[in-house]
Amino acid sequence: MMKAGAMIDEWYPVGLFSRLTETGNKTALMGEPIEVARAQDGSARVTSGNGRKLPVRVRYGHVWSSLGNPVKELFAIPEADQPGRRFVDVGVVRVRCSPLRAVENFLDIAHFPFVHTDILGAEPHTEVENYKVEIREDEDEVWATQVKFYQPQAAKSATGGITTEYMYRVPAPTCSVLYKTCPPRPGEWDVITLFVQPLAEDLCDVWPWMALFDDETPMTDLIHFQQMIFLQDRSILENQIPALLPLDPGMEIPTRADLTSVAYRRWLKRHNYTYGAQLVAQ
Amino acid sequence: MPSDTAGSWTPVALSADLPAATVMPAWTSAGSIALWRSQSGRASASSDRCPHRGMRLSHGFVRGEALSCIYHGWSYSPAGGCVRIPAHPDLVPPETIRVAVQTVEELDGVIWVAAGQPAAQPPRLGDLIPLRSLTAEAGIEEIEAVAGAKANADGLISVADYPWVRLLPTPQGDRTLVHVLIEQSRGIEDRVAASRIAEALRRRVEARQKEAA
Repeated sequence: MMKAGAMIDEWYPVGLFSRLTETGNKTALMGEPIEVARAQDGSARVTSGNGRKLPVRVRYGHVWSSLGNPVKELFAIPEADQPGRRFVDVGVVRVRCSPLRAVENFLDIAHFPFVHTDILGAEPHTEVENYKVEIREDEDEVWATQVKFYQPQAAKSATGGITTEYMYRVPAPTCSVLYKTCPPRPGEWDVITLFVQPLAEDLCDVWPWMALFDDETPMTDLIHFQQMIFLQDRSILENQIPALLPLDPGMEIPTRADLTSVAYRRWLKRHNYTYGAQLVAQ
Repeated sequence: MPSDTAGSWTPVALSADLPAATVMPAWTSAGSIALWRSQSGRASASSDRCPHRGMRLSHGFVRGEALSCIYHGWSYSPAGGCVRIPAHPDLVPPETIRVAVQTVEELDGVIWVAAGQPAAQPPRLGDLIPLRSLTAEAGIEEIEAVAGAKANADGLISVADYPWVRLLPTPQGDRTLVHVLIEQSRGIEDRVAASRIAEALRRRVEARQKEAA
């Protein structure tokens, strides 16, 4: 528990609200067993292994909780209240990797041609053009904007290759929100999130969630598309050495394409968000 | 494992099991490596970790004369230098981006990888040729006990009752990789028999290991 550091007071997804049962579901948060259940009045209830009642929020399809005392409210996603969007509970993918590595992979576009071949990217369109990265001090979030990439099939609703524009947000150490060109509705952004539940420093449950402008595609197809993408990512995430995310320079070599990851690591280190991180190069 | 004060040779795989333009994981006493063969047929070995994001290079792919990481396509020459970063196609990668490489010798159908800088060459197999490899969930001592003979100076174990079959074992953590060798003059029936003898021996070795545990 000592290792949890400042991350102890953050909010984490612990399950889908739509899948709660009164019997409860046993899971874990940062090494501690927890139970997530639906109370008789229909609300969500999260208890720790020793019976302690943990703070709860229900937002973005998921139940959120914390082992500590969150000083900040759960981050806002204004698009979650925008009319006309479809909300997709993708479900869960368990990955034997650091929760921080899972987020960093989500922030990366350079792997698309090699890991999501002919879907999110394809050779020879491998170049990552310059984009903007900043740590927004007021919101205390990492942002990457003007990210552009050629994609053969950017979304389930896409019918051909397009240059997609992306914006990334990191509002919490294990959560990222992606804004992406919306093929059926130019001018709007599709929202795809990655909510990561840290089970242990090297084990996590990844809960993707989406808020899309897409009234055509069957829900099953939307879910299958996202699950396929995350399963492709899993084959990478479970084979990185070291398992923990190295926060100190020297262990790994970034390039210009990795500026989002550089900012993410710097932001983690600044906040002492080190659960799932490795601090000294070995 | 043939070794001297400066290093040692590990028989990591059989030549036949590493076709052109492929990569596989392998192990030496120094750890996990990516073993690959270029399009033109040259075998190379490198550290099993891309320095960019730590991905295992043994999950990668081979094109032409370079090994590429499956994560972002960073490519490495047989000498270990990074030759291509696809995210920045116009960039000549700095020489500082490289993977550690190991010396590889391919002799008599066996691929040997050096840990350190062994002074001598790997041993020759004489009239033996490699037949196949298998992995036993046991240590070399169990294999020696069941085969009824100790490994000789070149690391070869004779199999009791079948002196025309020889085993070339190499430790891989708790397991042992065993290359099965046979006298060159033996025909197809003996080769099939040798393969079955090795499998039977593995079953006895693993049973023995289980009993001991």
